[in-house]
Amino acid sequence: MLWAALLPDKLPSDESRRTEATSGLATWCLQFTPRVAVIEPLSESPAVVMEVESSIRLFGGKRKLVERVRDECGDLGVHQLAWAPTSLAAVAVARSGASNGFSKPLEQVLDGLPLETLASVAAHRATLVRLGCQTLGQVRALPRGGMSRRFDAELLGSLDRAYGLRPEAHAWAELPETFHQKLELMARVELAPAMLFGARRLLLQMTGWLAARHCGVTAFTLRWCHDAMRSKSAGDGGEMTVRTAQPTRDLEHLTRLLAEHLSKVQLLAPVGDLELIAADVQSLEDKGLTLFPEPQQAGESLALVLERIAARLGPDKVLRPVITEDHRIEWMCHWQPAPEPRPRKPGRTVDIPQPTFVLPEPLRLATRADRPLYQGVLIMLAGPHRVEGGWWDRTVVDGQAETRNVARDYWVALSEHAGVLWVFQTRLANDEAAWFLHGTFA
Amino acid sequence: MAAVLEWTGDDEEPVPASFPSSQHRVRGRRTPARPGELPADIQAAIWRGNELGSPVTAVLSSGFTALDAELPGAGWPCHSLTEVLQPQPTVAEWRLLAPAMRLVVARGGNVVVVGPPKCPHLPGLRHAGLDERHLVWIQADAPAERLWVTEQLVKTNAAGLLVSWLPQARQEQIRRLQVCALACDGPVFLCRPAAAEHEPSAAPLRVQLRFGLDWELHVHLFKRKGPTHEGDIALKSVPGGLESIITPRLRTPSEFIAARQARELPHVVGSPAPRQAPVRRVTAH
Repeated sequence: MLWAALLPDKLPSDESRRTEATSGLATWCLQFTPRVAVIEPLSESPAVVMEVESSIRLFGGKRKLVERVRDECGDLGVHQLAWAPTSLAAVAVARSGASNGFSKPLEQVLDGLPLETLASVAAHRATLVRLGCQTLGQVRALPRGGMSRRFDAELLGSLDRAYGLRPEAHAWAELPETFHQKLELMARVELAPAMLFGARRLLLQMTGWLAARHCGVTAFTLRWCHDAMRSKSAGDGGEMTVRTAQPTRDLEHLTRLLAEHLSKVQLLAPVGDLELIAADVQSLEDKGLTLFPEPQQAGESLALVLERIAARLGPDKVLRPVITEDHRIEWMCHWQPAPEPRPRKPGRTVDIPQPTFVLPEPLRLATRADRPLYQGVLIMLAGPHRVEGGWWDRTVVDGQAETRNVARDYWVALSEHAGVLWVFQTRLANDEAAWFLHGTFA
Repeated sequence: MAAVLEWTGDDEEPVPASFPSSQHRVRGRRTPARPGELPADIQAAIWRGNELGSPVTAVLSSGFTALDAELPGAGWPCHSLTEVLQPQPTVAEWRLLAPAMRLVVARGGNVVVVGPPKCPHLPGLRHAGLDERHLVWIQADAPAERLWVTEQLVKTNAAGLLVSWLPQARQEQIRRLQVCALACDGPVFLCRPAAAEHEPSAAPLRVQLRFGLDWELHVHLFKRKGPTHEGDIALKSVPGGLESIITPRLRTPSEFIAARQARELPHVVGSPAPRQAPVRRVTAH
């Protein structure tokens, strides 16, 4: 049996909040094994224990698993992590400040530990010290008959369980249906990006919860509560929802995404508490653990990097094209935010020459002797190509109904400096004709 | 590499006595060679100034045979930056890069364009082999945003081909991008103004691109690994499906531009009064 004991540090004094903190830690542990329990949840120093012997192969060997738990523990605010063959022994080793309960045989490891490391022994500490006992080994050396008469059964029972002489029974922690965790920050935070430190701890718990449920998140909400010492106008706090295109439980990606969003937030008052809620959860299959690395991961990471760019620049800046079936050049190609789904049926296009760049607005050209000028006189190569119609396409611009009707004669024009251009002539009011530049064949 | 270093200066003069072991090793491998001639294995390891640089990285064919012959490694370099300098933007970029993009799209890669000065128009780009599933347009207007976006895309190695318009990039910013691009599998093109030619740049390949009247692109590689490139390469290129409507007469527009200039010359020299001659439109249907 390979038991790990995690001692959280700096728990809040409030009992319900302390339970929340340990249950958050237990939720994170549940991604490794279903055998997770909270030891002495109501005492001053609760501990979370988990048994990972049967999960070693899934996580790539004992060394990898131990290293991963150790690395992520630091971010979760665990101040001591210990490993031992029984859960109580692991807790005792952790409380004594050591971490390896496998360095010597279990009896030798436990015999040298002080009385405070086991809660049921610590309850009788005053009596035991007067008997001359300083360590667990000395308590164990006392005659069992007299011990069971003078002290309660729990003392001998927990000693036996710690030494592995009696089976242990645990109330296993259960995985919550929804993820909703709170965190009291160690210090008041005045700048939004500084909330990331605390939010990362919550995100880590959330990724653990997602891994245990085999799910990925597509939206999560971060709420922050302002400190009690705030101005009246500041309000209670704020919240922010971050969405991703595909379900994910990649901690680094979620952290970077959150950092981009937080950098835009202006806090009205110092923040004391954080709250993280997994708002939209979808099932996500694990990637197969293949023997060889897969070369084709580019598309997936492109979606991730585009999401990060969209978080900074705004979603309407990262665009993918959609062809719409229209003959007018402005509405032939529509650009939509990249994560939005494309229409299932691709639009048909006619196989006629089209420019590769278009101007957002047609540019009116000056003329000389009825010939358009753009960096010199243009030479008409081919045309006219008549594009007409659109009276059915009505829209409202600045509160006024407008019809997107066009009647244009397009020409392929050549400029000595600006390349091959796509210009059109159209009729304005008063029977006046005008030339416009609309695109370039770049 | 170590073997080559040991050989330097070894031909006539004795190796210093302080390195007996290296002397022994060199003696053992020495093959009889005439003076001025090196053994075959060393010959292969030496780069001479008059040859094109050997490709240290992968390349992507440019699609133009004449251009591939001049590019080091016969194609656009991957793992590094390529600068495309033009007198004005959006004149000929797609025409130069479209054959390479067609290859990238055929492999399932994505083409990402960052901050083009005009809107890309997909119906025209379909003639260049692009489709809606493989094109991403990132609208970044501020120079700092463009740099940041380009760097993110280069660092994550996510795009199959990246084209970024960076008219205001400074040389230390280009250097930073080049360092990031060493780990990027796709080619990265930076479109910059022709004035940047006078600034030093860390990009290993710098290309001057000019548009020619007779459906040509004039390409001059003014920085590359290898000897300097003299003159221009003229590449035949007809954009956006215009191939189907070009008549034989339209194949050489420069001829009738010259004819028109000859016709208009008297007017230019004379008074700027409006011409009396009826305007003849040169058209083709």
